[in-house]
Amino acid sequence: MAALGFAALFNVPARCLPIIFLFGAVGIFVKLLLLLFGINIVFACLAGAAAIGFLSIPAAHYKHAPPLIFYIPAVIPMVPGIMAYRMMLGLIKLTESTQTLNYNTVLFETVNNGLKVLFILISLSVGVIVPMLLMRKESIKHVRVPFSKK
Amino acid sequence: MDQAIKSVRREEMKQLGKVLLKAGTMLMSAGANTGRIRNTINRIASAFDYSVELHISQRALSLTIMDEEESSFVSKLRRTPPHVINFTILSGISKMSWNIVQDNWSSEQILADLERLEKMPHYHRWMVLSLVGLAGAGFCALANGSPMDLLFTFLASFLGLFVRQEAVKANFNPYLAIYFAALTASLIAGGAVKLGLGHADSYAFVTSVLFLIPGVPLINSFSDIIDGNIQNGITRGVNALVISFSIALGIFTSTFIYQFQ
Repeated sequence: MAALGFAALFNVPARCLPIIFLFGAVGIFVKLLLLLFGINIVFACLAGAAAIGFLSIPAAHYKHAPPLIFYIPAVIPMVPGIMAYRMMLGLIKLTESTQTLNYNTVLFETVNNGLKVLFILISLSVGVIVPMLLMRKESIKHVRVPFSKK
Repeated sequence: MDQAIKSVRREEMKQLGKVLLKAGTMLMSAGANTGRIRNTINRIASAFDYSVELHISQRALSLTIMDEEESSFVSKLRRTPPHVINFTILSGISKMSWNIVQDNWSSEQILADLERLEKMPHYHRWMVLSLVGLAGAGFCALANGSPMDLLFTFLASFLGLFVRQEAVKANFNPYLAIYFAALTASLIAGGAVKLGLGHADSYAFVTSVLFLIPGVPLINSFSDIIDGNIQNGITRGVNALVISFSIALGIFTSTFIYQFQ
């Protein structure tokens, strides 16, 4: 659902909307599935994003639109907003707290949340881009040959 | 005779340069990554048997068109319009560039098509607002919010985006517009928490501002850096950072107003 909202915000062509909706669900599904198996949240996000990235290539060929249109709205729901918020809250607390004992807990939580946010963001971006890098040569060869001028 | 042909080709190159710059700046402001802009422009130019060298940056695009013998060249520079993410333009230009290669379009045809794409309608404003509201509610559901939280997140996202659109219309600084939106959204969602209607862990409060997350700049930033366009990647990354900072500032203003712990 969230993916669909973002698609509308970015003015995606209407014919692509159902696919984005589906991809958003797939990404979250993969992530939750891996979390269920007790895998680190960073790797779960990476896998979810990679799933979206790989899927968006056939979708791009099928709908004749760049893959970018599919994967960006679809991964945005996986952005760790709550963790980012907790990290920010923790940073503010760090500026006012003075007691050592309390400070340590807050510092621990803040750094933990912050690093998770950072790594999840990186893994999301890398996850969706790596399929493009892997498939790039193939897909261009695949598409260009029938259209070349000579 | 030779001179005449040369001046005709020169005119053609000038015209093509104008078209390519328009396409490139449209792509940049619609949210394409640097590699995509370069590929698309090279593809169009190669359909006309010219080669192009590009310098792509966030705010301007400059290019030099050369013919095969490199006997003459045309250089042009154009400012990029303000960035408004629009994936219809992206997919339209990408499709058009393949059509150009296939059907030997003239540059007038391309210009006409670009203008058509530029005028293509956005989704209706109220539809975008409600869908973004639903997206906010979807975020909240993902974070295990209660139905009451979902309702308030919907309301907060809806009104937050409304405020942002109005602020952009009134020509405020884009970051300021985001700050206003974050403030509105978190004030609404926070009000619900304050009145005891929401969840204790304030899920609504947090998820109400997620619609402002700079997803496109973030992902483009990484894809540019991986592609080797490091300068553009850093520019986009800093842009995303400042946007996040404005969101955080909006949230903190309302935390301060409500005196949350």
